[in-house]
Amino acid sequence: MDKLNLTKHISSQFNEEIELVRNHIMAMGGLIEQQLSDALNAAATSNAELAQQVIANDLVVNEWEIRIDAECTRIIAKRQPAASDLRLIMAIIKAISDLERIGDEAERIAKVALESFSSAQQDLLVNLDNMGRHVAQMLHEVLDAFARMDMEAALAVYKEDKKVDREYEAITRQLMTYMMEDPRSIPKIMNVLWSARALERIGDRCKNIAEYVISFVKGRDVRHTDEDTLEQRARE
Amino acid sequence: MRAWFKSGTPWIWLNGGAIALCLVMVIGVLGLILVQGASHFWPSDLQQVSVKQADGTERKVLAELVRSEDVAASTLRESGVELPGDAKHYVRHLLKMGNRDVYGRDFAWFLDHEMSSWEIPTQAIVLERREWGNFYGFAVKLSENDQVIAEGDVDVWAKLPERIARANDIHAQIKQLEKTDISRINNGMEDLRLGLRKLQLNNASAAEIAAFEAQAAQERAALDADYAQIQQKLDDLNHQAARDTLVVRTADGKELSVSLSNIVHAHQPNAMSTSQKVGFYVNAIWDFLSEEPREANTEGGIFPAIFGTITMVILMAIIVTPFGVLAAIYLREYAKQGPVLKIIRISVYNLAGVPSIVYGVFGLGFFVYVVGGNIDQLFYAEKLPTPTFGTPGLFWASLTLALLTLPVVIVSTEEGLSRIPSTIRMGSLALGATKSETLWKVVVPLATPAMMTGLILSIARAAGEVAPLMLVGVVKLAPTLPIDGNFPYVHLDQKIMHLGFHVFDVGFQSPNVEASRPLLYATALVLVLLIIVLNMAAIHLRNKLREKYRSESD
Amino acid sequence: MNPTQVPNSFTELNLADEKIKIEVNDLKLYYGESQALKTVNMHIPEKRVTAFIGPSGCGKSTLLRCFNRMNDLVDSCRIEGQIIMDGQNIYDRSVDVAELRRQVGMVFQKPNPFPKTIYENVAYGLRLQGVKDRRILDEVVETSLKGAALWNEVKDRLHDNAFGLSGGQQQRLVIARAIAIEPDVLLLDEPASALDPISTLKIEELICELKDRYTIVIVTHNMQQAARVSDYTAFMYMGNLVEFDATNKMFTNPSQQQTEDYITGRFG
Repeated sequence: MDKLNLTKHISSQFNEEIELVRNHIMAMGGLIEQQLSDALNAAATSNAELAQQVIANDLVVNEWEIRIDAECTRIIAKRQPAASDLRLIMAIIKAISDLERIGDEAERIAKVALESFSSAQQDLLVNLDNMGRHVAQMLHEVLDAFARMDMEAALAVYKEDKKVDREYEAITRQLMTYMMEDPRSIPKIMNVLWSARALERIGDRCKNIAEYVISFVKGRDVRHTDEDTLEQRARE
Repeated sequence: MRAWFKSGTPWIWLNGGAIALCLVMVIGVLGLILVQGASHFWPSDLQQVSVKQADGTERKVLAELVRSEDVAASTLRESGVELPGDAKHYVRHLLKMGNRDVYGRDFAWFLDHEMSSWEIPTQAIVLERREWGNFYGFAVKLSENDQVIAEGDVDVWAKLPERIARANDIHAQIKQLEKTDISRINNGMEDLRLGLRKLQLNNASAAEIAAFEAQAAQERAALDADYAQIQQKLDDLNHQAARDTLVVRTADGKELSVSLSNIVHAHQPNAMSTSQKVGFYVNAIWDFLSEEPREANTEGGIFPAIFGTITMVILMAIIVTPFGVLAAIYLREYAKQGPVLKIIRISVYNLAGVPSIVYGVFGLGFFVYVVGGNIDQLFYAEKLPTPTFGTPGLFWASLTLALLTLPVVIVSTEEGLSRIPSTIRMGSLALGATKSETLWKVVVPLATPAMMTGLILSIARAAGEVAPLMLVGVVKLAPTLPIDGNFPYVHLDQKIMHLGFHVFDVGFQSPNVEASRPLLYATALVLVLLIIVLNMAAIHLRNKLREKYRSESD
Repeated sequence: MNPTQVPNSFTELNLADEKIKIEVNDLKLYYGESQALKTVNMHIPEKRVTAFIGPSGCGKSTLLRCFNRMNDLVDSCRIEGQIIMDGQNIYDRSVDVAELRRQVGMVFQKPNPFPKTIYENVAYGLRLQGVKDRRILDEVVETSLKGAALWNEVKDRLHDNAFGLSGGQQQRLVIARAIAIEPDVLLLDEPASALDPISTLKIEELICELKDRYTIVIVTHNMQQAARVSDYTAFMYMGNLVEFDATNKMFTNPSQQQTEDYITGRFG
């Protein structure tokens, strides 16, 4: 938190505005974590009520995005932030759009939960749930890294995404096997596949947010580079 | 009450009161000299009155009523006047009787109770004469070359004005001849004498002197011939002027004859309508401003004094401006700022506080005697022992005043220079200008309004200054104006008349106090007006400059 | 435009690639006992806009005034080190200061037109050089005023007093006056700080137009202005040159914490 120096502006109003927007993005992050874990729970326990709640809450997520976006726009218009402030605001603007998409993915998972699964397919959902826990953990960590603008934590999250991708591939293969075995279950399995797909996307978006953290800290864009180059740049 | 104090209202009242007091005083001064000075020229009515004399006889007096006052009976008794009754106060009147040649004095006090049968005779005339002051009385007859051509009030009055005009015309011609031709001949003669003296002083050889003398004799003969001719003309004119004679009678019946050449102006105040009086009034003021003084400054105008004052002030301004401005520029722009400069500056500021008479003493002791004496030795040796510049004169008066007002110009110019924003200087320097280019092309033009302010102050001070001038060149009566048609046109060595000194002279040195009293006020009024006009001109000029160099910061 | 290829929309400037106009070597400046500049080293690139930013009293104006030796006017000022312009140390004894100032024009914070007509203001520098030919003067006045983007506004009143112009116009007039003598370098000491925002924008626009022909050094308190107009930015603090880099870099990712704190408004 020290490195951020966010409360050291001469203008206390500017301090407050930045603090506010950071609090909001953390709150939004918290909500999305909740959404994701609720969606996963709903899918695991086929809890339709919980799934409905997740779907309903996605509207709140959207509202958060719009709110924080407006706040950032206002800060840019009024304060003309430069250097680290500018990078922070840019990171926030980009992060909220990723967060919103994560929210959308959570909603999708919740929709999957509304489908009923046969017990034979329950173990599929277990796998999905594992991947879900992993992704949720990743989300938690990246939000944490974002809150502290901790580059090491962000790098760790960045690397974690690889694992998620592999889990996704494993699940995909498994689901393909199921579909070949029982073509009648294909529509339902497709739903599971979508969920896995959504989780994989959430992992990507967490990776994006990790990239923003690194960009913020290092002052240069590290997106769309391979992992080694990124790490090398980050450690320069 | 406290709230009232806190509101600041008492301050406003205090400040307003101070302003009001100042205004009252200024208006009082101006009002006094305006009323006293301006009323002098109004043709007041002539009163004819019988006065009981000490021996019991009655005597008729024709006079202007100047003023009346209450006198304590005791004062009168102490001065030996017998008073009837035992009133505490008696009224007495001051009458201007004129006719100094008849009565010996032209103002007299009369006690009211001894006077009777006041009347205003329509035919009473006032003759303004070149000698003996005014005559008050009645016209009897007018004669040309001892032949009576008109008799009786009406007849005489009908013919009088045009004949007076003719006489004045001739008088002007005589003056003109004396001023131009006679003075030219005199100058020529003087030049010849001086030329000879110069040769002698320069140890010229006898041959040279002889040659010069021969030529001088020729020129002198020519001048003499010229002179004879002009003298002839003058005699002729004098004869013509003496042609007409007016016989007049005083109120108590004495007759005397006055040559028309001696009359400046004649009028019948009692017969004048108001509009005629106004016309007369304007004329009288114009005469006062444009005529030369007569009768030891108690009559006539003050033109030479006005002219002298203006010439002297302008000359002073011409001298003081460059000196003051250059000194200020040096002090502000070039001199190294330090204790020495501080001392110099304090000295300059203190010069402004030195009493002006000290400057007069300095001017006389240094300028006139030392500088002027040396100039005479060097350049006008042939005129000695008559001094040229070694005597008080216009130039020394102006120079002394210039010295007197120098601090004012220096201080205000410095002030002006210091107010020029440094960014303007920087702007010029940044364009590759040197310091002096910057100074002369940018800074000094911007400081001209301040210089003008200094000049205004110095003019105001100089025009009103009297004390030092008495020592260095101003006289009671100067025979000629300092600027005329004879080479070198501006006579720096000449003595001049000055309004301020004129006021002093008329007020304190006049042989005829009552006669000069109104002139005193009138002269003071003219002096004040003159200073106002000079100041207005300078202020107008300054405002124009300000407008020209107006910058955002002002 | 080929959409399949992303154009390089930023010219990334690099000081190493620039031609250097002014070289400041170990410059130290003292006012009496106090040291106003502490060993400044910098290279100012030719035909670029270099901005000096920093808090008040940091020495940026002082440094600027070293380039045309304006500090010579301050009695107590003493200078060590060198400023080399076109291979010549301008503090060399043989340098004619007036000549130097003709090559290094300067515009000040407050518009300071002379109490003359618009025409005479612009012609002032030329007249100093002894140019009297009316034709040349007319031409230079016109081109300078056009160069300062003022011609259209004043062409009908060239012989009016310059004080009649608005503040922004006056400042552009002063710039026209400076470029009339065709300097190599133009020093701008907070040229827009006394102007309204629109006039400020006009001045900024003018600076961008002028940078093709002149090396411009601008001191400004307005960081956004520095960001807008300059190619390079120098951040000075307490008489030190803290950071000097391409403006794009300085305002997104400065290398020094002090710079970062200053430009994000965290100072003090």
